[in-house]
Amino acid sequence: MKNKKRGQQEIVGFVLIVVLVVIGLMVFLIISLRNSPEQEKSVEVSNMLDAIMKHTTECAIVYEPDYDDFEDLFKSCYEGDSCSNLEIGACEYLNESLRAVLEGMFASEATISAYEIDFFMKDDEGEEGLLRIFEGNCTGSVSSAQRSVVSQSDSLIIQMKICKRS
Amino acid sequence: MVENREFSTGGRGYMADGKKRGQMKMMQMAFMIVAVFFFFILVGLFFLSIQFKDVKGSAAQLQRDQAISSLRVIADMPELSYDSGESATLDEDKLKVMSGNFSRYYDEFWPVASVGVYKLGTGYNETKPCPGVGCNYYKLYDNEQDNVRTYSTYVSICKKVKELGFVYDGCEVGKLEVGVIMRDEE
Repeated sequence: MKNKKRGQQEIVGFVLIVVLVVIGLMVFLIISLRNSPEQEKSVEVSNMLDAIMKHTTECAIVYEPDYDDFEDLFKSCYEGDSCSNLEIGACEYLNESLRAVLEGMFASEATISAYEIDFFMKDDEGEEGLLRIFEGNCTGSVSSAQRSVVSQSDSLIIQMKICKRS
Repeated sequence: MVENREFSTGGRGYMADGKKRGQMKMMQMAFMIVAVFFFFILVGLFFLSIQFKDVKGSAAQLQRDQAISSLRVIADMPELSYDSGESATLDEDKLKVMSGNFSRYYDEFWPVASVGVYKLGTGYNETKPCPGVGCNYYKLYDNEQDNVRTYSTYVSICKKVKELGFVYDGCEVGKLEVGVIMRDEE
């Protein structure tokens, strides 16, 4: 009886140790997974996004030749404006012209397998997607950068992700 | 006498059994300690492998980022930069001048092996050197070194455009490409 009791005590001790170790491992895994970001911020993508934002388009909202650059065009799209000289909506033109510029940029980049631009509005209630351009098939590491512009006291986010072949 | 002997013999037997059991307990504990020690070593190795899984990749990425940041220094030189107060914005008129015959005066100025700028606006398909109709590549400097590694970064190329009596800044996306001489590793 005494031996049986001692054996049970040892089993309980062993189970306790195993449970403690498993809890420790789970805490460690949760912390390490939370710390590793999905994609890393990149100087290269940041420069790319800066150059895109300054690109002058052919869309004049008020009069010619007061053409919007992409930064202004994102705002015009959010405000629901139209290109007066082209007689199309700012969002429609933004979608077409941004695709064309991105195609031109990545025609010379053999290492980039896919790219994505997300344009969304962010407030206290959450995010609202306004435009998404995605091309390619992502195989490799993802780098990203984002810019924020303010329109009508709302915060608009333009996020760019690049997928590089590994 | 006999009873005493039996008693004393039995006593030694109990003592020996207790000692043996104690030794067993100590061995058990020692094995347990060794097992726990190895277990924590394995956990440590697992932790280290996760922490340092991409140190090489991160180092290469940092080096690349540093090189790209250095390219901005070249882009912001007064010889190339556009008068807008913004960083990484090149003046297309200056590029035209610097890629012409004037560039030979700058042969000892550039701290690198080659400098070139691509215009990547809509419709970029192949490289067409400037000057020329529909050109998209300005070769500013090249000392024709063999052992060269090129780094590039995206910039804006701007110029003053006059249209319908108004003057505005017309900018497009470009790529500054710089060749750096590689030193042979000793």
